[in-house]
Amino acid sequence: MDINVKSLNKVYGNKAVVNIDTLTLRKGKIYGIIGPNGAGKSTLLRIMAGLEDATAGRMFYNESLLNDRILRNVTYMDQRPYLLRTSVFNNIAYPLKIRKYDKKTIENKTREIMREFKIGDLSSQLATSLSGGESQKVALARALVFEPQLLFLDEPTANIDPNSIELIEKVILKRNREKGMTPIIITHNMAQAKRLCDEVIFMDEGKIIEFGESKQVILDPQKESTRKFLSIYAM
Amino acid sequence: MEHIIDGFIEGIKLLLSFEGEVYSIIILSLYVSLTSTLISSLIGIPLGIFLGLKKFRFKRLLTRFLYTFMSLPPVVVGLTVAVIISRRGPLGHLRLLFTPGAMIIAQTLLVTPIITGIIFNNSKEQGEVIRQICKTLGGNRLDTLMLLIKEMRINILIGVVTGFGRAISEVGAVMIVGGNIKGHTRVMTSFIAMNNSMGNYSTSIAMGLVLLAISFMTNSILYKYIVGD
Repeated sequence: MDINVKSLNKVYGNKAVVNIDTLTLRKGKIYGIIGPNGAGKSTLLRIMAGLEDATAGRMFYNESLLNDRILRNVTYMDQRPYLLRTSVFNNIAYPLKIRKYDKKTIENKTREIMREFKIGDLSSQLATSLSGGESQKVALARALVFEPQLLFLDEPTANIDPNSIELIEKVILKRNREKGMTPIIITHNMAQAKRLCDEVIFMDEGKIIEFGESKQVILDPQKESTRKFLSIYAM
Repeated sequence: MEHIIDGFIEGIKLLLSFEGEVYSIIILSLYVSLTSTLISSLIGIPLGIFLGLKKFRFKRLLTRFLYTFMSLPPVVVGLTVAVIISRRGPLGHLRLLFTPGAMIIAQTLLVTPIITGIIFNNSKEQGEVIRQICKTLGGNRLDTLMLLIKEMRINILIGVVTGFGRAISEVGAVMIVGGNIKGHTRVMTSFIAMNNSMGNYSTSIAMGLVLLAISFMTNSILYKYIVGD
């Protein structure tokens, strides 16, 4: 699903936290959003995911405004995902249950994605008792089980071990290449942005400062503020 | 000290004697308190969720009123209900004064703000997160409501048990609107108060033990739910 953002503005009090003229995200690519804290990355992501209203501006998803039909094909996950107070299996099966899939399909799809994330042994465990890395995997499995077209991730691999990061990146990449899903990922991990994303957006003070191919933006930034930001990570 | 121990022994003997009046009082108490808790739950749970999630003008003012109503003095509630349903009151024609119905109304007024307040607090803290999760997973409004109730089930249970505890242990309101009429509106708390003032400690202790047992049972159910999680 393509996204077209036009004259998007979000104001808290007197401060504009997001102020974007135009932004076009194409179906099937993996996008990364980088930038300092308070740059407006999370607010932009939440607005695009339909979780917050913009103060002004419009967004088109394949030329339609956000509606319930589109929302059923969009999902969002943040770095501290909320897991339901039930088993891991029921958490992952939940989106399928509300879509009224039959029992057998729910069972098969849930088991399949649990195998993909290597969490089959956690099936009957209470989801709220899991470790950070396990929680991230369960939340991402739950977000992907219904095969959304748009996947918004706010720091999905913050504070988790390298093996889990590798697994999560692999699954995202596979879904993107095989099913055409479009992930839009906020990350503070520049190596991850370079490795995983096709294109990267650098934001600062609510604005898009630089937008282009990930390797070009990260290795050869054109704008001074991007260079300054990235130089801190290089140290 | 001796008369207290004797009181306990006599109290247990009284319970084991299966005397009709004692058990009719226990049954009436449970009927009145369970009915008022059920009505309060049906009002308080959806109202608490609505207040916790919705943003509207005067919400803060309404919240202050809600917290004030949570600590309403039972005698004030009893007096208000008695004035309204007394023969010369606006609802006098219903002839509710000194009936179990009047006791249910008074207890419902006492318990509803407690359940609403507890649910309101929890849905204010958790509700928005659960609502957003449901939205990001493709749920509609009905799915959100169902998920909210499911996720907040322990808090809902705490609210209901607290409300029931308030209802079953309350004496001021039921005494005023019920009148403590033998065989008609006499409940455990008014029975204990009456016997205590008459010096019948053993009878009071017997009924006190029953109240404690009921309290223990309700708390055990709550504990089972929390630990069972």
